[in-house]
Amino acid sequence: MATVTFDSATRIYPKSDRPAVDGLDLQIGDGEFLVLVGPSGCGKSTSLRMLAGLEEIDAGSIRIGDRDVTDAPPKDRDIAMVFQNYALYPHMTVEQNMGFALKIAGVPKSEIATRVAEAAKILDLEDYLGRRPKALSGGQRQRVAMGRAIVRSPQVFLMDEPLSNLDAKLRVQTRTQIAALQRRLGVTTVYVTHDQVEAMTMGDRVAVLKDGLLQQCDTPGTLYERPANTFVAGFIGSPAMNVITGPVVDGGVRLAGAVLPVPRERLLRAAGDGGRVTVGFRPEAVELAPEGVPVVVNVVEQLGSDAFLYATLGASDDGDVLHTADLVVRTEPRSAPAVGETVHLRVREGGLHVFDPVSQQRID
Amino acid sequence: MTIASDDPRVAAAAAPPPSVPPAPATAARRRRSRLTRNRWGYAYVAPFFLLFAAFSLYPFLYTAYISLHDVRLSDLDGAVFVGFGNYTELLQDEFFWNAARNTLTIGILSTVPQLAIALGLAHLLNYRLRGRTFFRVAMLMPYATSIAAATLVFAQLFGHDYGLINTLLEAVGFDRIDWESGSWTSQIAISVIVTWRWTGYNALIYLAAMQAIPNDLYEAATLDGASRWKQFVHVTIPALRPTILFTIVVSTIGAVQLFGEPLLFSGNGMTNGGVSNQYQTLGLLMYDQGWTNFRLGQAAATAWTMFLIILVVVGVYGLIARRRARAER
Repeated sequence: MATVTFDSATRIYPKSDRPAVDGLDLQIGDGEFLVLVGPSGCGKSTSLRMLAGLEEIDAGSIRIGDRDVTDAPPKDRDIAMVFQNYALYPHMTVEQNMGFALKIAGVPKSEIATRVAEAAKILDLEDYLGRRPKALSGGQRQRVAMGRAIVRSPQVFLMDEPLSNLDAKLRVQTRTQIAALQRRLGVTTVYVTHDQVEAMTMGDRVAVLKDGLLQQCDTPGTLYERPANTFVAGFIGSPAMNVITGPVVDGGVRLAGAVLPVPRERLLRAAGDGGRVTVGFRPEAVELAPEGVPVVVNVVEQLGSDAFLYATLGASDDGDVLHTADLVVRTEPRSAPAVGETVHLRVREGGLHVFDPVSQQRID
Repeated sequence: MTIASDDPRVAAAAAPPPSVPPAPATAARRRRSRLTRNRWGYAYVAPFFLLFAAFSLYPFLYTAYISLHDVRLSDLDGAVFVGFGNYTELLQDEFFWNAARNTLTIGILSTVPQLAIALGLAHLLNYRLRGRTFFRVAMLMPYATSIAAATLVFAQLFGHDYGLINTLLEAVGFDRIDWESGSWTSQIAISVIVTWRWTGYNALIYLAAMQAIPNDLYEAATLDGASRWKQFVHVTIPALRPTILFTIVVSTIGAVQLFGEPLLFSGNGMTNGGVSNQYQTLGLLMYDQGWTNFRLGQAAATAWTMFLIILVVVGVYGLIARRRARAER
């Protein structure tokens, strides 16, 4: 068991002038499940590979426990990794795959057998120990890849999008199994995904990256309730938060001719730039009201438990098919308005986020 | 129709009609119509098969025909049918067994180091190194070199009095070796020529196969603590197994047919395998029978025997490979 510390860790790929990971500072607690999330190219996989020792660290350092592993080769870091494509050795059986690291380390055969059997029992792989990866289903291969990591009982688990090759149903099921398994083993885990739902459901804390820069690292609840900037606000949550910039007027922001009330002191601090302000509110933080911001409903998505309205601001119907929505609003499925109707919106108490329109940072 | 329907009428209409075995006449018509429909496909592959028939299949069958006759090179029309006489004579011929032995030893002496060196070279070239395109081209150069030029140069190198190799041996305190006259020494020298010519070719084949191995397997092995050597043994070699089998088969065929190198090794291209036939291969024996003794029937029988040897050896490899594959399943 160990903590993991990224200390201004930076990676610049050869022939690239922009760092793939730029001064990453991150403290991961002992036994914590930390998820790195972000759009493709944000540096999340690179960060993980730096921790694994598969990428060089150009500046800064990485520590596992108290040990500086910045220049240590991968095998001396006491880590185990689950790859996106599992990277199982095709010519070895499940048992040999899981025991390979121990065999290389010179662990006696009887002990390898015991430890592989234990891991196989946890992962329900006992019937498949003699098979080769080719003869396994996608879900079973995924479990073998997990088993190969578990058998080594490392200080840190690294997982690089381990669920992305599974079908949607199996992914949801495996998601909970991995989270439960991690809690049971209590091993520090760093998990990379591009899927914010996976990040929110699995992580003790979630680190959001964009363009190699850490945007925010906090518990899923805090990320959702208090996003640090507009990027995090838009990335976390599905459907995404509505983020709109408009001119400041007395008591709020003017949207489509109506005024959306904003608390006065936040408005003052935000309205530095030519009297504009950026506000955000989640689809579920909005309610239909007799008075408020007028929007035209373009699409209604019925999900059974909810209905989502995709709407454009104001009465401006410019016939743009691709631009169907400025806003997404959740309503009761029974009382959803019809397409083409104009409705008025009000943001619920405490549901409004205010951001600086220039720096995009949150204002409280 | 992509939308499933529960309506029985729609389902019945969408279901295929109950299958009736087609009458033989319709089957024949269908086959004919498929032939006409695919006529351009057949037209495109026709040139190869025409050439194959003229220059491979016909000589192949004609050789079989000749091997059953007593034919002199000077009198091709005066063939006398002798049945398997040429073959029985060949199997009782001490020169045949000598040549078969030489072919086997030269084959082993050249194929084994050739493939081993090729594997090592490919492994090195697979690393990201500077100027690797240059190295890859350089590797193929011996293969592109004329067999005659290469062999003559090597014959000089292995020369008794002025050869570079003997000069070097003497310089480090060994005796001169008469490479050509010794049985082992001549075979080693010929094997060196063969190895030099074919190593690069095989290395490129291995390199191509190595580049198809996913990189994350090596990363996983690195994290599992495997050294470069262990990765080579546990990741690279198993992944290359089918390729290695392929190169073994091709090299074996080449080894059985070995002809140019021993023919030119003496330096004048007039040899039939050394004074005491110490490096006469099956290829040289056949040449000797047909073009020195003018006994074409005998030479054809030798050619067919060589072909059968190749078939048997390759068949054995195939069996071993299949047994391995079955054991792995």
